[in-house]
Amino acid sequence: MKNNQKNNKGTAAADGVRNQSPSKLLLLSHFICGIGIVLSFWLAINVFSISLIKNPVETLRLLWLIEVPVVILIYSFFRKDKNQSSYLKAVARGLLGLPVGAVVNALGAIALGAPVGSRYFLRTLNWSLLMSAFTFVPAASVYGSSWVDWHRIFAHTKPIGFIDYMICIPAYGAVIGGWFGAWPMPLDWERPWQEWPICVTYGALIGYFIGMLASFSFVVHVSRQHKNWKIIIYVCTWS
Amino acid sequence: MGSLTCANFTLLTALAILLQITGLSLFVFGFFPIKPALSGVSGPESFRPPSCDSTEAQNHTDLHPDQLKSLYQKLSEIPPSYDRLILMVIDGLPAEFVLGRDDQPPSKILKDSMPYTQSLLANKMALGYHAKAAPPTVTLPRLKAMTTGSIGGFLDVLFNFNTQALLEDNIIGQLFRIGWKMVMLGDETWLKLFPGLFTRHDGVSSFFVKDTVQVDHNVSRHLSYELYHSDWNLLLLRVNLIVARQLYIASTLEFSTISFQILHYLGLDHVGHLGGRNSVMMGPKLQEMDDIIKLIHSSTIKSQERDHTRTLLVVVSDHGMQGNGNHGGSSYEETDSLALFIGPGISHVSATYDTISQVDITPTLALLFGVPIPKNNAGYLIADLFHPIGDHQLLRAMELNSWQLLRLLQAKATDSTCGSLKDESSSLYLDAAALHGSWKSKNVLRSASNNDLKSTVLAYNEFLRTASNQLSRRATDKPIGLLALGVMTMLLSCVMFLGLLFKLGQEFYPNIQTHKFHLPEALVGGIIVIIVLSMGSSSLVEEEQYLWHFMTSTFFLVLLHKTIKSATGNVTSQLFLVAVILISGRILKGWHQGGVNWTHLPDISKSLEICGSPCIKPLQIISMFLVISLCLYTLSSLRSRGNIVILIGLSYLSTGLLVLRYVIKYQGDGSGTSGNDAILAVQLIYGIIITSVTVTVIASPWFMYFQSKDLVLVIKDSLYLSGTTYMFGWCLLQHLLQQPVNSMVISLILVQIIATIYHASRGGSDVKQWVEIAAIYYLGMAGHFSLGNTNTLATIDVAGAFIGISSHSTVLSGVIMFVITYASPMLALLGLVMSISVRANNTILKIHEVNTGEVLKTILGFPCLVPLGLNSVLLVAYTIILLVMRNHLFIWTVFSPKYIYVVVTTICVLVGVLIVASTVTYIILTAVFLRKKSAS
Repeated sequence: MKNNQKNNKGTAAADGVRNQSPSKLLLLSHFICGIGIVLSFWLAINVFSISLIKNPVETLRLLWLIEVPVVILIYSFFRKDKNQSSYLKAVARGLLGLPVGAVVNALGAIALGAPVGSRYFLRTLNWSLLMSAFTFVPAASVYGSSWVDWHRIFAHTKPIGFIDYMICIPAYGAVIGGWFGAWPMPLDWERPWQEWPICVTYGALIGYFIGMLASFSFVVHVSRQHKNWKIIIYVCTWS
Repeated sequence: MGSLTCANFTLLTALAILLQITGLSLFVFGFFPIKPALSGVSGPESFRPPSCDSTEAQNHTDLHPDQLKSLYQKLSEIPPSYDRLILMVIDGLPAEFVLGRDDQPPSKILKDSMPYTQSLLANKMALGYHAKAAPPTVTLPRLKAMTTGSIGGFLDVLFNFNTQALLEDNIIGQLFRIGWKMVMLGDETWLKLFPGLFTRHDGVSSFFVKDTVQVDHNVSRHLSYELYHSDWNLLLLRVNLIVARQLYIASTLEFSTISFQILHYLGLDHVGHLGGRNSVMMGPKLQEMDDIIKLIHSSTIKSQERDHTRTLLVVVSDHGMQGNGNHGGSSYEETDSLALFIGPGISHVSATYDTISQVDITPTLALLFGVPIPKNNAGYLIADLFHPIGDHQLLRAMELNSWQLLRLLQAKATDSTCGSLKDESSSLYLDAAALHGSWKSKNVLRSASNNDLKSTVLAYNEFLRTASNQLSRRATDKPIGLLALGVMTMLLSCVMFLGLLFKLGQEFYPNIQTHKFHLPEALVGGIIVIIVLSMGSSSLVEEEQYLWHFMTSTFFLVLLHKTIKSATGNVTSQLFLVAVILISGRILKGWHQGGVNWTHLPDISKSLEICGSPCIKPLQIISMFLVISLCLYTLSSLRSRGNIVILIGLSYLSTGLLVLRYVIKYQGDGSGTSGNDAILAVQLIYGIIITSVTVTVIASPWFMYFQSKDLVLVIKDSLYLSGTTYMFGWCLLQHLLQQPVNSMVISLILVQIIATIYHASRGGSDVKQWVEIAAIYYLGMAGHFSLGNTNTLATIDVAGAFIGISSHSTVLSGVIMFVITYASPMLALLGLVMSISVRANNTILKIHEVNTGEVLKTILGFPCLVPLGLNSVLLVAYTIILLVMRNHLFIWTVFSPKYIYVVVTTICVLVGVLIVASTVTYIILTAVFLRKKSAS
């Protein structure tokens, strides 16, 4: 703990982070991420007059173009090795994580049956970039290339500390939401939103929001149980 | 709770299987009743209004046909419009080809293919109709519908391959009773349907699909002969141009001029099966058909000029066909069959071609030829055909039709309160009868106006249509007791299976905390629950292939996740195996678009078909080599390698090369597969595969016993050898039987199954055995749809069922059809033998070395029970869904075909499990026996 404080002569923002209670911090960052999505939808409808159903490619592009910077800028505050890497480095890691995550998401979607072909290329690309912003980018900004942390969160699903919850639960929410979002696709309702990837995107967004809500309530619940939770978190994340 | 002994365990499983079979048969015969048709035939009473006393049936069978004929003529008050009938039945001709669709004329190529028919239509000498065929659009039920006028029961599909005599009242029998002589050439189906009715015949089996060339000489000879006997004097015909078998019934009555012909023209359907709707063979086929119509029509004109016999030529098709030439379902393309009436009295009345129902042909023909309408007829007459006759006769015809329908309605009403039917149709009938009565009385006074006539006709039409619709709807009253008993029995067997599984799980994994959550294990159950839930939706039943692929891929993605998590052992190769499964699965999903709603979208098989044999042939060769090299690889990983294993490997290599030679030499070029040497080659390959598989499996424990004295090793290696033999024998067989585009699919499914087995074997106890078996079962089900199968009957590869059969055999073709359709689930089940061998480790075998029963239970418990349990859950769930949905709009088009698939899948699982269980039991018992012998 002492060691942490000694080395932590970083930015003012970091001081701010440390002085806030974790649940408030988490609520704030989730709130900003949510605002980003809502804002991009608002822009799409009112400024560019496009909609996800009619112009899936353009809307998805707008969504990730807004969401990615928001996510990177916020999660870089929570970078794990504050004493070694700067804020800028965390931002760069997030940017690097974006295409990698997109590839992983796209491969997963294609394995589950997403259509391939030139007609769907742009849709899949933009969708997977958005999914990357929900799943990969935050983790890349926070953990960098720390394999142990990645393994702990995404393979074992054993989050410890509020940052783990903050990354892991919304990411799982988005993936599971997208998985459920694919269900209406084979039905013969002949609705335009049954096309790839519209309903999957809706599912992922709903799952993401539910995940953020869940991670917030989880952290609140746990921090009420343990009065010294705050200290544990700091030890876990900064040591 | 004590643990079950092997004997008890086997007994309980056998009992559950027996219960399942019993319940299933009870349900099937309750739900798909052999249609409750009225027995007996219509006689002279049909010319009197229906009355209540059942004693009206008088015995007229002792009358001489001529007497009966004159009696009918007197009673009916309608002079027959025609003296003879030529019925030409064209198998699988869509009306669209002749009449066009939606008031659009057919395409120019099609029009040019049938110049004579088109000119007849243009000159208003023929009347064409779109005759809606009721599903299932398969030949036999349609023939029954056309001759009896009733809509056949659904199980007729199954009897399509087991034709039985038509005992119901039908138009052919009616014509026979008034002394018509009938001659028929061609299709055996008709002979079996109407045994003893034809004076002369030449039956050829219609199920020998691959051959479109051979029989024409036969038919042409007979056609000329019949024409000569009828004094038609039309010997200039070149019938040997006909590249098809045809059924041709010509009747010549020696002292009268009545004749009756049926031409059952099969070529089109066969071309469709072989080449699809837009096949290049279709144009010439239509041309030939046109020639026949021309020949017959000109002969009828001649005979009319000569001796004033009026002949009606009726060209009908039994059903249409889909774009790929298949039929059986209920799409517009399949149900759109043709009814074309060509005769001297025909005058075209309307510009567009009306839509009638296929069953309407029966009453129309009966009334035109003055015989009673068959008892079970649900159709109503086509009024346009009666136009040259007087108003009185037209109304009389409608009246006769109404009486017949009313009789049928009264007979089918559950409460036999005769004459007091309070429903809509009987009041409509009373209206029409009243109008008819008033018209009659006015007509006598010559004061009947045109309006009176019109309103009477309208009233009759109203009644006829309502009654016909009412009768066409299926009888919904089902023997509930029988159905409930069947469902309960199946439910009991399902509970038994699941209980046994649970017990087995408890015995095997006693230490595992049940509350710990394992995602792959939960998913195995989740998949079944989701599939069961989705079966209630008709569109998800139609598009089931998406579901299976989605769930299987999800399972393997979760497995990928688990593999990364475990991080023990050789993670890279494990990851590689799962990746191979996922990639193959994705390719398989793209192979056939499948389903109903998105079949038109591009897929791999379609692009291959377009590219043609330059693309398909190399792919077939690659796939063949993939299978052979996989086979050799798996054999090489056998621990005890000896000369015998090399010998077996060589035998597979040579069989593979034989199949390859056959594929290269005979497949793909039209009628090449029906040649004698092709059939011989196929039969040779069948023989080699069956012999080598049997010999290898039976001899494997003996081989291994000579190689090594270690019991565990002997059992393990013999099982491995047998499993490999089963899988590769099956794959080689499939390469022979499947359509050329599907050969790669089989290889990919094989790759998936082997990869799953290897993954599980290396993962140690990470993946439990029952999870692995369930995964293999799911792969088999997903692969079933990748082969292009759907839940409609249309995608069954009928043409493939005749590969290597030199003479028609219902049983053999049935077996081959089953082998083709259930290639993938069967492959998965056969793969279980290999999976058992890989799983059987020393500890399991050593512990129970003293007790063979325990060994068998340990080894065979899950591999037998998991597929049986999963399948029984699906079966029971779907049975209940079928029962719940029995009044659903799509019950006969979506749910019932799916149920037939479910039932056959059950048979497939039972057969597969039987093979696995008997093989493993045999090997273990033999190995133990050999060891004991050597010890003593």
